[in-house]
Amino acid sequence: MEGASYARMPRVKIRELKDDYMKFELRDTDASVANALRRVMISEVPTVAIDLVEIEVNSSVLNDEFIAHRLGLIPLTSERAMAMRFSRDCDACDGDGQCEYCSVEFHLRVKCITDQTLDVSSKDLISSDHTVTPVDVPGGDASIESDGRGIIIVKLRRGQELRLRAIARKGIGKDHAKWSPAATVTFMYEPDIHINEDLMESLTLEEKKEWVDSSPTRVFDIDPVTQQVMVVDPEAYSYDDEVIKKAEAMGKPGLIEITAKQDSFIFTVESTGAVKASQLLLNSIEILKQKLDAVRLSEDTVEADDQFGELGAHMRGG
Amino acid sequence: MNAPDRYERFVVPEGTKKVAYERDTKIINAASFTIEREDHTIGNILRMQLHKDPNVLFAGYKLPHPLQYKIIIRIHTTSQSSPMQAYNQSINDLDKELDTLKSGFEAELLKFSKDY
Repeated sequence: MEGASYARMPRVKIRELKDDYMKFELRDTDASVANALRRVMISEVPTVAIDLVEIEVNSSVLNDEFIAHRLGLIPLTSERAMAMRFSRDCDACDGDGQCEYCSVEFHLRVKCITDQTLDVSSKDLISSDHTVTPVDVPGGDASIESDGRGIIIVKLRRGQELRLRAIARKGIGKDHAKWSPAATVTFMYEPDIHINEDLMESLTLEEKKEWVDSSPTRVFDIDPVTQQVMVVDPEAYSYDDEVIKKAEAMGKPGLIEITAKQDSFIFTVESTGAVKASQLLLNSIEILKQKLDAVRLSEDTVEADDQFGELGAHMRGG
Repeated sequence: MNAPDRYERFVVPEGTKKVAYERDTKIINAASFTIEREDHTIGNILRMQLHKDPNVLFAGYKLPHPLQYKIIIRIHTTSQSSPMQAYNQSINDLDKELDTLKSGFEAELLKFSKDY
């Protein structure tokens, strides 16, 4: 295939990085790519979540379905999910979730025998695979802050019992939100702020203060020495136009010009803990590449067009 | 009761082609690509990438109906190119871009974990 390449060379810069939180800058690309990455992170990066629950005994106050739903929503560590199979295309089993390639089994056996209310939490889930465990369990990932009590599932009083077997499967957020590895993923356009210095200097200090205070977020401030208005935090600007309206109201239109840079984005990624935030981005790039690969034209489509294309088109056109 | 299965949204049914190509009957170098089980994620990046190609006179995509899990991309090119060529080129370019992004991010990640 001939033709020049129109590929861009995007740049990334990490600003902040924690296991479950990441802030980074993405430059030299456009909103379509930024949005595709956001969409893929939210709904197409696979994780593992409980999908099938067989309840043996449930004498708790919550009904079986309620508990099954709560179990499904517990995030499980899913570093392995990218390499796992979806049970629907698993050959080793018939998708009944019994094999190690596509599923992980969990057991929960709790009974309250004291007068004290017993909290059943994600820590009571016994996993058949040490790589797939409920998040927040110390020993799993110590750097994630935790109060060490796990995610509460149900509370039991004396004599109540909960015994069940659960199968966790690989899935994506598009199927059900429980499989989404992302708590929030957002991006904003980087603002480009230009102050008209000449016009600004025509304001008195009092007026400057009034104008600076008109911004709902602290974007501008006044230099205590030179008394000049300066931009302290451009990213605090929320595209609310308040300062522009204020300038107009003060009879100084054009005092400030704020535009969104069309090729610079600031991303924030928050993970549920199923995968690390940095890994979430890497996985999303990988998934997007796979998706693009899947939409390539197949050989037979190209051949059929070579043979009958122009002719066929004319015949159909009459 | 009669709700479609959730997997309908992303599993291509058996016997259906992922991408179907159809030439325009009246205009030369114009065609539409019907892509099964894809949405704005793929549609929008392909459209924007196609706009970068000077041989592409028109490129647009639509999601015909929210319950029909497919998108239609329409491309019209100059005689210098063809819709198929432009389509393939855009996929290759996006793939390259994602490769750059990936290696860039990995390098940044390495640098970042060293520095802090």
